[in-house]
Amino acid sequence: MGTTKAKAPAKTAAASPSTSRNLPKQTFILDNGAYTMKAGYAPGLSDEEDALSACTSIPNALVKTRDNRIVIGAQLATHVTDWNEAAFRRPVEKGYIVNWEAEREIWEQSFFEEKATARNKQLRIAAPEETTLVLTESPNALPVLQRNTDEMVMEEWGFGGYARCLGPTLNAWNEIHTLFGDTLAAKSESDIQPADCLLVVDSGYSHTTVTPVYKGQALQRAVRRLDIGGKHLTNYLKEIVSMRQYNMVDETYIMNEVKEAVCFVSNDFTGDMERTWKANRKRQAEESVVVDFVLPDPNAGKKGFMRPHDPLLHAKKKKGALSGLSAEVLSEDVLVLGNERFAVPELLFTPGDIGMKQAGIPDMILESLSVLPAGLHAALLANVLVVGGNAAIPGFMERLETELRQIASSDCVVRVRRASDPVRSTWLGGARLACNREELGRVAITRQEYQEHGSGWAGRRFANTI
Amino acid sequence: MFRVELLPHSGAAAQPGWTYVADRGFDPSKAAMAPTLGRKRGIRDAGKGGDISSRRANAIIRHLAELDRENQSDVQIPVPVKQAKEAGSRGTRAKTTSNVRRILQSQKTFRNHLDDEEAAIAAGGGGVSATVGGGTMTAAAAKASRAAIAARRSSTPATVPSAPASKKKRTAPTATATSTPTPAPSQPETTDAEAEDETSERKPKLIKTENDNDPLLRSYAPTMPSDRIMQRLLAEPPLSYNASRAGPPISARPPRAFCCMCGYWGKIRCKSCHLRTCGLECYRVHEDSRCGAFF
Repeated sequence: MGTTKAKAPAKTAAASPSTSRNLPKQTFILDNGAYTMKAGYAPGLSDEEDALSACTSIPNALVKTRDNRIVIGAQLATHVTDWNEAAFRRPVEKGYIVNWEAEREIWEQSFFEEKATARNKQLRIAAPEETTLVLTESPNALPVLQRNTDEMVMEEWGFGGYARCLGPTLNAWNEIHTLFGDTLAAKSESDIQPADCLLVVDSGYSHTTVTPVYKGQALQRAVRRLDIGGKHLTNYLKEIVSMRQYNMVDETYIMNEVKEAVCFVSNDFTGDMERTWKANRKRQAEESVVVDFVLPDPNAGKKGFMRPHDPLLHAKKKKGALSGLSAEVLSEDVLVLGNERFAVPELLFTPGDIGMKQAGIPDMILESLSVLPAGLHAALLANVLVVGGNAAIPGFMERLETELRQIASSDCVVRVRRASDPVRSTWLGGARLACNREELGRVAITRQEYQEHGSGWAGRRFANTI
Repeated sequence: MFRVELLPHSGAAAQPGWTYVADRGFDPSKAAMAPTLGRKRGIRDAGKGGDISSRRANAIIRHLAELDRENQSDVQIPVPVKQAKEAGSRGTRAKTTSNVRRILQSQKTFRNHLDDEEAAIAAGGGGVSATVGGGTMTAAAAKASRAAIAARRSSTPATVPSAPASKKKRTAPTATATSTPTPAPSQPETTDAEAEDETSERKPKLIKTENDNDPLLRSYAPTMPSDRIMQRLLAEPPLSYNASRAGPPISARPPRAFCCMCGYWGKIRCKSCHLRTCGLECYRVHEDSRCGAFF
């Protein structure tokens, strides 16, 4: 222990005069999520709105459409109109970049395309050797995969500078105090520092992690992961709907749209369950949670949408034209969603519902705290930040705060906040870290250093052991 | 003598999920599996002592693997072949190194990598994981995953074995965490009222009353750990992938069962396949068309 501790300051001392140790001025932040990549050049000091305009979300997938075309990354938004039976290949598995063959293709197309187009104007990395790359990774990555990542970044593209950071820790660099409503005197804008104590709950596509962050660094022993993310919720909804209504097993994209449109986290599970029970439905139709989702019709160029449930729709359709419905309404396919709306996101809080032997998010937070000194508990519980796509599910925050309040010690204040833009919050944190050149110089390595010491050294450097 | 044990597996295809294990004499805990019960019932209710049957465990594992899939069916989506013109544009960059070639050609999935990693850890912290853990905590991190799970709950000097569910325990003064009583680092965003009671200079507007020194009203909020402890905590290497998985829930709520047809509470259980339904209406549909068990 003593040796590492003695070494660490020596290293920073040696590094800080040469902070600009040929670390390129331009910084490119890439939050490489399993579902979307959030990418863009660090915009320098600016307020949140301006900074986020520099960030672009690109789907991180190869898609094979029904007519056997293969569409990559950013083209998905423009080149695909018919999402029926679209199949996905994602290079990021379980939150970690596994398949570099596919990932290289997506990166090449998004960032390194030769001819400048309107789309990649913001994102094009014309000269990697004059760019510092800040790349995020999920906690507890396998060392093999980390090493592969380092080798690809430095040997395939040859970035001038490179920092591989733990995604959740970057959130500490955001303006946490304003978010939590703390008024701080003497807030110096010139010197961007990370928040002291922050508990980041990152609920993404592949999993949900809890990371206590102390002064911008993760407390590794307390990082915990629940293996449920947006993907599982979509698949679960798909499975339920296929069992009860139409066969949707090949319609991942459409079911994801349905999930985003209708799902909510219930704050009264039993009550909502009674409200959606088929025998009760007729009695209290007006306050029911049951909704209809009209499936998209690519032939007519119509998108899917949600509308209040019409219990008589089925009967009317049977009568056909006699009922006075327009042909448009008669041709549409409707999913009726009742308890599916809240039973699906419920998995994040009660994984036991599908037989999983893991704790829900509130229990996981306490489990994470239980291995930390008691003195930290109050500070961490008072600063719980939720990021990731699932944070956008309505009711998520209220439920988390209520449950956490119930199980946390009554001595502690519990404050749970959602980042203002939960999906791009990590990217934004990276952009703010890039403004602090000294800190960036401490975490990043240069191309020259990599060439001198190799990937094993780079791995140890990012793991903070040198 | 041998007996047969049913193993949980996550494969999508039905495989014979059993193995021969050596049976070493009479074991009262396994007496429930005596052959007098009949072969099938033994399989069905293998762990009757409070645990779910191995068939149910298998079904859950398969279901979870199903939920983890990207696509329903296995589709091959090849990376499109580049046109020669575009491929030529690579010329500006350095040649592909052997590392890059190896990584690009690797067809390993995450599962393969994880298995490799676990094998390396089980072999005594060898493999790539040894390069990462350089600190003193490596020994704890590099144990087999089962041991690591135990180790993560261990209380090294820096931790307090606090059970967060019980409030009684927390109010007791914790001596371990504050072995070196140094002033707590400034914690401006902490709004914990009790924590700030002791360092009252931060809150100048505190009202003074005669009850301030009342032992009954005293706060026993633990102080922030010292800088030295924080440095040690920060220097720890990451846990392994399996060790960082969240454990079972703290509050032991009874598991909820849902109707497999409509999603309402599962009140009755199918006598042949043990799936739940909410009432006779759903049960009849289930029995007519869905119930796949014949024994």
